[in-house]
Amino acid sequence: MGPSSAPDDVLRVEHIAKRFGPVTALRDVNLHLRKGEVLGLLGDNGAGKSTLIKIICGFQKQDSGEMFLQGKPYAPKSVDDARAQGIETVYQDLALIDELSVYHNLFLRREKVHHPLPFLANREMKRDARTALDQIGINIPRIDVSVARLSGGQRQAIAVARTVYSDADIILLDEPLAAMGAKEGAQILDLVARLKAEGKVSIIMILHNYVHVLEACDRVSMIQDGVIALDKPTAETSVEELTEIVVNEYRRARLEEHGGAASAPPAGAGGAPADGA
Amino acid sequence: MLERVLSLREGSIIVVTLLVAVYFALSASTFLTYASLKTLLPFFAPFAILGVGEVFVMILGEIDLSIGATYLLAPFIYYKLAEAGVPHVPCVILAVVCCMAVGLINGFFTAVVGISSFVTTLGMLFTLEGLTLILSHGVPVGMPGAELTSATVHVAHEINGARIVLTETVVHAPTFANVLGEGTYSELVWAVVIVVVGQIVLTFTRFGLHTVAVGSNKLAASEAGVRVRLVMVRSFVLCGAAGGFAGILEAVRAGSVQPDVAGANEILFKAISAAVIGGTLLTGGSGTVVGALIGALFLGILDDGLILKGVNANYQLFYLGLAIILAMTVNIYVQRVRRGSRVG
Repeated sequence: MGPSSAPDDVLRVEHIAKRFGPVTALRDVNLHLRKGEVLGLLGDNGAGKSTLIKIICGFQKQDSGEMFLQGKPYAPKSVDDARAQGIETVYQDLALIDELSVYHNLFLRREKVHHPLPFLANREMKRDARTALDQIGINIPRIDVSVARLSGGQRQAIAVARTVYSDADIILLDEPLAAMGAKEGAQILDLVARLKAEGKVSIIMILHNYVHVLEACDRVSMIQDGVIALDKPTAETSVEELTEIVVNEYRRARLEEHGGAASAPPAGAGGAPADGA
Repeated sequence: MLERVLSLREGSIIVVTLLVAVYFALSASTFLTYASLKTLLPFFAPFAILGVGEVFVMILGEIDLSIGATYLLAPFIYYKLAEAGVPHVPCVILAVVCCMAVGLINGFFTAVVGISSFVTTLGMLFTLEGLTLILSHGVPVGMPGAELTSATVHVAHEINGARIVLTETVVHAPTFANVLGEGTYSELVWAVVIVVVGQIVLTFTRFGLHTVAVGSNKLAASEAGVRVRLVMVRSFVLCGAAGGFAGILEAVRAGSVQPDVAGANEILFKAISAAVIGGTLLTGGSGTVVGALIGALFLGILDDGLILKGVNANYQLFYLGLAIILAMTVNIYVQRVRRGSRVG
């Protein structure tokens, strides 16, 4: 295990396990997040990164294990509950509603309404949406069109803006750079850097690109096979080390598969050599 | 101007309805008369109300097949309560509350248990129609509070300078009945009020926004923290209320109600037709309450116009069916024009 948890952790995750029927998504995950830190979460497809995020944000419940938020036991009953406790999430599938406009998406579940008649305060929401998007620095020409008309990058920007706008303590970003061009991706990473500089929020970010991790994160955790296989400050690791771990994992997986095949050789299995990765 | 109308979601059906109205006005001389308009109103007003309920469910991508059965059952609940001595107005409220409970059950089995709403509400359709037959023993009943009283009055006439007094019979309905369906414009007023309120709720409140959100993308809505089950259940409750209230209005207007199960199923079809013709998608995510009113008006005009044109009764349904298909074909073309004209 990497650096042990410290008392100033804003979030601690201890021995989390989660199964979906016969599939074990998470076996025993321990994770911690310090205040103002940006933690990069790495792992193969299906390693359990998204499951972990969904448990932390209250969308799913773990089978066993505990979580602590600012040192106190944390067991969110719902996404709303987690949000009320200061944890906001940008999902991989973006959680945007195609039928709704940009600003309604930005304010979904936090809509501003008039008083005393609770009608939607659309003008106010439009204005605040514009401000929030300008802050992020991503250009959305019209905020009253439906989000279905926007590019992948613009959609991602809106999803991120929604989170940033919310005054959360902890932000979870599930692959924030997916579906983005290099320029849009750089803008999102700039935004993360700006948030980090402000020092108010702590961020867990799922990423695939090691270069992005080393550039944007303070620390990196890698999930493999339902457990944390590596936990290091980014300053102490490198693209080479991260790649090495993954390559080893592939070798091991291939050996297992090979072993399984040897015990019950399929009909056509001649002498196809295992090509070294 | 035309472009503005066309840019509305219900723009194309407005155009088509106008076309149909103009056609009948030109070809049937009696179409644009007071008497004709008076007969048209009862045709379409209840379907507009039913359509509002159905729109809220259909925006979710669900359907309520039990709305006709709720419509049928409500007046019998009203009748039983009135028989038991409950005053008329509380009877109406309680009967509508019972129908909302039906919606609650529909919503529970659909949103919480997870049975498809088609199946849930199909089961509810048969259950309620059966319940109506049980409650009524298959016998029509008069609606308490809607009884007409006739009085003989003496009216003085002046004929050729001579003053004579004749006796005339005046039929009088109680205020309660006049307000709840019996009065000439009562159903129209209720329909318009319910449609306006429904459209405001759909467009300008969180309730409506969340309904559209759930209908468009359930997963995304729940990830954003929208309480999907609650949103679904309350739409079904609303639909039940619409069904029950429209049923009572129609029963009070007619003065009596028959346990007509086949008729209830026709009501169901027309309610869904009004919603769909008005521009609400069967697949969910998009809908318009005002559209349901116009869809119902469209069906009403078609019904009324064909009668006034003197179409043989046996041909009536045949032409109605063809006219719906023809009009909806025109509707699709107008919609394409509308999409083309949209700035974007």
